[in-house]
Amino acid sequence: MKPPRFPGFLLFLAWLLPVGPAAAQASGVPPETGFTLRETEVRAKPFLDAVPVGKLPERTLVTVTQRQGGWMLVKSPAFEGWVRMLNVRLGNVDSRKNDTSFLSAIGFGRRPGGMPTTTTGVRGFSEEDLKAAKPSPEQLQKMDGFAMPAAAGVQFAAAGRLSSRAVPYVDAAGKPVKGAK
Amino acid sequence: MRGVGGVDGLVKSVTQLAGGVSEPEEVAMGRGVAETLLGARPLVDDGELQRYVNAVGTWVASQSERPDLPWRFGVNDSDHVNAFAAPGGVVIVTRGMINALNSEAELAGVLGHEIAHVTRRHHLQALRKSAAMNLLGATAAAGAAGTASRELVSALVGPTQELYARGLDKSDEFEADRMGVVLAARAGYDPFGLPEALQTLARIKADDPYLALLFKTHPNPGERLDRLAVAMGPGFDALPDARQNADRFLNATRRLKPLPR
Repeated sequence: MKPPRFPGFLLFLAWLLPVGPAAAQASGVPPETGFTLRETEVRAKPFLDAVPVGKLPERTLVTVTQRQGGWMLVKSPAFEGWVRMLNVRLGNVDSRKNDTSFLSAIGFGRRPGGMPTTTTGVRGFSEEDLKAAKPSPEQLQKMDGFAMPAAAGVQFAAAGRLSSRAVPYVDAAGKPVKGAK
Repeated sequence: MRGVGGVDGLVKSVTQLAGGVSEPEEVAMGRGVAETLLGARPLVDDGELQRYVNAVGTWVASQSERPDLPWRFGVNDSDHVNAFAAPGGVVIVTRGMINALNSEAELAGVLGHEIAHVTRRHHLQALRKSAAMNLLGATAAAGAAGTASRELVSALVGPTQELYARGLDKSDEFEADRMGVVLAARAGYDPFGLPEALQTLARIKADDPYLALLFKTHPNPGERLDRLAVAMGPGFDALPDARQNADRFLNATRRLKPLPR
C-alpha cells in the first residue's frame, strides 16, 4: 500500500480506529469517571440559559463523555446532560485513591503510537537533573533562533481565526481587577 | 538581547525599574537562568514545533502588559510534565507537558500561566530574595552591558537550581492561573484550556514520577481548579467564538515521539 500523503486521509484512517487523532476532537473524550464537587444543575445544552434537565447532588459519580468549552456532558443513573466543567472533578472522590498514571491519563489518545507500557529510557526533568545541570549557551542561542516577531504572531492568530478581545483580569473572588485591560 | 541606547532607552530603563532591577537586567538574569534550565534538558530537535510554540506564546504574550519583552518559548526534551518561566520573557515547557495537552487552547492557557509569572516578575523577586551580592553586582554589570556575562550566568546556577526545585509561593501560582486564563481569553481562545489541562493532571495519582517535580513545586491541581472555579465564576462561559484550534495543535505536535515503550 502506498503511504498516505494527505493529512486528511490520515485523520480519516484514525477515525476508524478506537484510539487515535479522532479522539482529539475538542468535544470528544473517551468516557472517564468523575464526581460532582457541589450540587450541580444539569442542562440539555452546554449553555447557562439552556433548559435545565435536573440537579445532581454533591459527590454524585458521573461518566464524562464529552467536553465543550467550560462544559462537560455527563451521565449519571438519574440524568444525562451538560454541567459546568468546574463543578466536576475527574478521578476518585478521594484523590489519594487516584490510580491513574500519567501514561494512562494521556492514553486519551490522540497520538499515533498509542500508550506506552514501560518507563525504560525516560528523559526526565527531575530535581536531580536540575541539580546536575550545567549552563548551555548553545541551547539558549538555539532558542533565540526560534523567536518570533510580534507581527508574525498576529499573522499566526489570523490564520487560526483568533481575534483578540478585552477581558479584564479577575481577583481571587472573581471581581474584575480595576485598571486592567 | 536588546541594547539600551540613547535618551529613549534611558527613559525606558528608568521607568521600567522594578524593585531596583531594570528591564535589561531582568532580561540578562532570565537568560542566565534559561542557560541552566536548558542545560538540564536540551530543546526538542523539531524546528516546526519550536516555531509553533513561539507563535502561540508570542500571540498570547502580546495580550499582556509586557508585549515588548524579548519573548522566547521552547519545548525541552523531557518526558516529565512541567513548564517553567524565567525573568525577562523566557518560557520552557516539557515534551511531556505537550503530550498531556489536547488543543492549542490548552497550550495557550499553560503558556499564559507562565507568561503571567514573567509579567508579574515572580521568579525575579524570588531570586532577588535569595541573591548573593556577587549575583546583584553581576546583574547590574550585565544590564549596563546589555548582555549576560559568564560571571552572571555562573552566579545564577545555584539560585536557579534551588528556586526551580523549591517553587514559588502558592499565591503566585494561583495568581498566574487566573491571569493565564484571562490572557488566553484575550487572545481569542477558549479560556477553559488551562482548567482542562489541570483536569487531566487532577486525575493522576499524586506520586506519579512523571509529575513529581510539578506536584512538589505547585499547589495540587484539585486546589488550583477549586480556586479557578471561584475566580472564573460564570463570566467566562459566554465569550463569543472562543476557539480550541485542536487540529492545528495536533498537526504541529504530530512528530513528537510517543513516550518510551
